[in-house]
Amino acid sequence: MTLTLALPSKGRLKDEALALLTRAGYTVRLPDDARTYRAAVEGEPRLEIAFLSASEIARELGAGRIDLGVTGEDLVREDVPDSESRVALLVRLGFGHADVVVAVPQAWFDVDTMADLGEVAAGFRAHHGRGVRIAPQEWRLANPHFSQTHGVPLYRVVGGHRATEGAPAAGQADLVVDITSTGSTLRANRLKVLAGEDGVVLRSQACLFAARAERSSGDSALIADLAARLEKAAAT
Amino acid sequence: MTLSPARTRARVDIESILEGLGADVIHVPVIQPADAFLDTAGEQLRRRIFLTASEDGETLCLRPEFTIPVCLIHIARRAATPARYGYAGTVFRQRRMGANEFGQAGIEDLGDTDHARADARSLADALAFMAQAAPDAELAVMLGDQAVFEAVMEALGLPQAWRARLLHMFGDRTRLDAALSELAAPRVAANLPPQVEALLAVGDEAALAELVETELAVAGLAAAGGRSAAEIAARLVARKRLADVRLDAGARDALAGFLDLECPLSEAPARLSTFAARHGIDIARALADFSARIEALAALGVDAATIRYRAAFGRPLDYYSGLVFEVFAGGGELPVIGGGRYDRLLSMLGAANPVPGVGFSVWLDRLAGMEAQP
Repeated sequence: MTLTLALPSKGRLKDEALALLTRAGYTVRLPDDARTYRAAVEGEPRLEIAFLSASEIARELGAGRIDLGVTGEDLVREDVPDSESRVALLVRLGFGHADVVVAVPQAWFDVDTMADLGEVAAGFRAHHGRGVRIAPQEWRLANPHFSQTHGVPLYRVVGGHRATEGAPAAGQADLVVDITSTGSTLRANRLKVLAGEDGVVLRSQACLFAARAERSSGDSALIADLAARLEKAAAT
Repeated sequence: MTLSPARTRARVDIESILEGLGADVIHVPVIQPADAFLDTAGEQLRRRIFLTASEDGETLCLRPEFTIPVCLIHIARRAATPARYGYAGTVFRQRRMGANEFGQAGIEDLGDTDHARADARSLADALAFMAQAAPDAELAVMLGDQAVFEAVMEALGLPQAWRARLLHMFGDRTRLDAALSELAAPRVAANLPPQVEALLAVGDEAALAELVETELAVAGLAAAGGRSAAEIAARLVARKRLADVRLDAGARDALAGFLDLECPLSEAPARLSTFAARHGIDIARALADFSARIEALAALGVDAATIRYRAAFGRPLDYYSGLVFEVFAGGGELPVIGGGRYDRLLSMLGAANPVPGVGFSVWLDRLAGMEAQP
């Protein structure tokens, strides 16, 4: 049976994924027509490449409609409910780094830790008649960080999923959970990430994932080989 | 939703039990505004309720429980208090496995200012409901009281900020223990700009507030309606004062000792008095309320010796304020009834004046034999 390996369809993620496959000794034969979303791997007829958007890859892995995919860990954890049971993380690929962080206004000089935030959240309703509001880029990920890990149960998630870092100034939220690689957008919006591990919900990077499924020994061997070669290529 | 003849019959029976207990049985719509639930129970609920939206964008949900809708109806009607509402119907919760809809019935008692009497009646009604709906079931009752925990923390002299934080975790022992360890450990040094540090050192709160105000203005947050400069400055000063304060070993032992308490309710007042005396703290007022409830239970024919008191038993929800109880049937692991006092809920939902409330909900599907009714 053919296994489908989904790769990001555009941008740096696509370029890095293809470069890594090349370093791992796979020759991806791209279609002549750039609008085609399928590609083949030379000498490996059992592997078929599909180009999808990074978030589509996460969802399709979760639904089990593709076998393998290269996408960000944050997207899988965010978009796939109960992702551990549905999708296996095989290899961290060493590119596409992005942190999911908790950031508050710099003016909140009194808040450095989640414990500080917990105290502020606990007293917030008394001062403002409402719970503290968080604009989350990724709420499924953020929820356990607040509720379980740090015991901050009382907050409301608000708003859409774009331009999260602008939400406090727009009066839509008090703090944000955002994805950042350098933190410069946060600083430009005069937000600060909480200290140490308190501020980090997830350190994400591009990974090779496999949908969990019963597989033939041939398929399992092919996947194990791909994972091993990518791991070696990623390390060099 | 169409009910099968069997379920309609069962529901009529349940409503007549509720009426027999003196409740005013009301109709509660299945579709509810979701904000009320998320504001009061927190965002964890979002994954467990069925959300939808109206055409104009209002977030709606299938009712996940009855207490909040009943309180909203009470507020909308501007009804006189005290009022006792009964309800029966289906609630909807998302589960990873198993059913997504459950039958529930219960009574919410709003506005009775005699807390001991209202608490006792709620528990007595819950037991009376069981006696009629499942007369053969062997019952076990567990009772807790958040007000005692609050009194213990206050008597131990814990700072207000700590008390608020720990109160939010009451009922979740793992998180409470973690928070207590954290409060006992040295704090992470605050990472403050030099000018803030300088003003803090001299304790100039007004100048601090000015500085925060400037930062808020620069960030475009001044008019955003969030935390104010005065609030941030005040907490900076309070945090500075607490920076070197640790939860001392004595207070930590006392809290752990309290949370470990478990005994028949009839013995609880004496056990709590002994506990308070041993740690040299005064919780007399909370204890008087606690004992008044036991007397009110006795007046309604409920024997406190048959009820288990567990000091650490509570619900980590913002609106529960005192009594909580659960009724178990036939040695089952899940409670067939959950109840408690929620004096903060009606204000949170928009009531103009504080309205005390206490109530209970029966999980009808967990009552053996209930579904089998003809």
